[in-house]
Amino acid sequence: MASELAFRWNFLMKIALELLWLVILLTFYKTLFAKTSIISGWTEGEYLFFVGCYYTLEGVIESLFLENATEFAELIRKGDLDFYLLKPVDEQFLVSFRKFDWSTAPKILIGGGLMGIALFQLDWVFDPLKVVGFVFLFSGGVALSYGFLLALASTSVWLVRNQSLLELWWLFTTLMRYPREIYQSGWAWSLWVFFSLVVPAMLVVSIPSEIMVRSLDPFWSFWVIASSLLVLWASRRFFQLAIRSYRSASS
Amino acid sequence: MADNPPKPIIEISQLHRTYLVQDKSPGFWAGIKSLWNRKYKTVEAVKGVSFSIQAGEMVGFLGPNGAGKTTTLKMLSGLIYPTSGSATVMGYVPWQRDDAFRRSFSLVMGQKNQLWWDLPAADSFELHREVYSLEKDRFEKTLGQLIELFGVEKLARQPVRELSLGERMKMELIASLLHEPRVLLLDEPTIGLDVVAQIAIQRCLREYNQSRGATIMLTSHYMKDVEALCERVLVIARGSLIHDGKLSGLVERFGQEKLLRLHFEGTAPPDWVTQLGPADIQGPIVQMRLGRSEVASVVGRILSHGGLIDLGVQDPPLEEVIAKLYAEDSEDAKAGLNE
Repeated sequence: MASELAFRWNFLMKIALELLWLVILLTFYKTLFAKTSIISGWTEGEYLFFVGCYYTLEGVIESLFLENATEFAELIRKGDLDFYLLKPVDEQFLVSFRKFDWSTAPKILIGGGLMGIALFQLDWVFDPLKVVGFVFLFSGGVALSYGFLLALASTSVWLVRNQSLLELWWLFTTLMRYPREIYQSGWAWSLWVFFSLVVPAMLVVSIPSEIMVRSLDPFWSFWVIASSLLVLWASRRFFQLAIRSYRSASS
Repeated sequence: MADNPPKPIIEISQLHRTYLVQDKSPGFWAGIKSLWNRKYKTVEAVKGVSFSIQAGEMVGFLGPNGAGKTTTLKMLSGLIYPTSGSATVMGYVPWQRDDAFRRSFSLVMGQKNQLWWDLPAADSFELHREVYSLEKDRFEKTLGQLIELFGVEKLARQPVRELSLGERMKMELIASLLHEPRVLLLDEPTIGLDVVAQIAIQRCLREYNQSRGATIMLTSHYMKDVEALCERVLVIARGSLIHDGKLSGLVERFGQEKLLRLHFEGTAPPDWVTQLGPADIQGPIVQMRLGRSEVASVVGRILSHGGLIDLGVQDPPLEEVIAKLYAEDSEDAKAGLNE
């Protein structure tokens, strides 16, 4: 944080942009529900919870890892990864969480606030089992996103310049930004199958939101947890393989 | 019964490292073509290097650019894996990157910066304490000693970007020594520094080596560093070790000439001096280069003439020997390419 605050205008600008992005997201949401009362089975209150959940998850990933992942390629290109590999700390941990992006951290609070407002609008009755289930599934969603980003970032060891990483993350977030049900029609079915079963991007926000404001879907909930563990394991192995191939830029 | 010699702290055997690098022709079309037809060539950065270093030694690791010095140091640090061969540092295989190993050594790269650029070095030191799980009391004591040793009492709270190159290098070295490493690998620690800063860093390294018994392996293109710190040198050229021995042995082995300095009575040397060979004459002082085998006979002839105030026979400067060695290596490489 000290490093971020050394450039306070940059820091404030980043926060302002995040707020602008939230305004756009909410305007889009309000515009949609001005024309209809339900979208693929999601009511306005449920959808607001979904937006809050998405915003929180994105805030978690962006604060903890996105900047670290995008800077990983630069560490490799300049050979600065050397210093991280020399430290007596797990390399994956150090590379993944070396910087916390405080400018995106307010998204976590704002997302939490949106979820709270949505639950209030829905007259939600407190259910500890649902909360525990949500925490598990939300963690699964975070783990899936993290594993996906880690695997993408690891390819930088071979590609060195990996500008497609951010674009692929945008693809991932675009798929998780809307409830998965909207893809369950027509030609979008194939997308739904691929991005639910193979790369479960469509599940990371939908499934945690469903358990809180709709109903538990046992199969897909299980798949979120199982696939997140699988992705965490596979992305770690892939990261270790990448580090074995690290050549360290010449000095 | 004779004692067994202590086990070396660094031991490497037949270490090889090859790289596959793209062999790309220049130009736009070559760039397009390389999208589907990419050619690679194998570069042998390190070719079967073997040596061992005892605890407490200070060893110079010399070689021209691209000889394989940094690649070898990076393998010894566990940053890169060798293609084949074995190495142990303090009993650990470096590329397994055991935490205990990483707590016991440091690699300092003069051309790279590990401190936070925008923050004072003190903040980086504090992070270092956390990363290495150093006890606060011990950390503060060591930090105090190092700050005093390097003479940077007033600089630790200044952002790193505002420090001079020499000051920054001192801070880098302090950061590398905070966890009291037993093995210190230094890759050109005085690069770009002025003479005053170079001497200060040499003094600090010598004191650290003597007070802690640390093993230091140093690469440097400044022969003054090597002369000031290392009794033993390893010379690597085109990936192969070509010399492992005392620094003085390097001059004897590769310095084919001796420098002769004669100081004659009067204002000019006698005429017969010019018959001895090419000479640099400045007033009564004459300097000339002789082959090692000629020295005894030439000095005998000079002494038989008399008229001398002073006579000195010296080895050529180390820089000169090394430069010649590198130049020969480069010519050999070109000859090899032409064959």
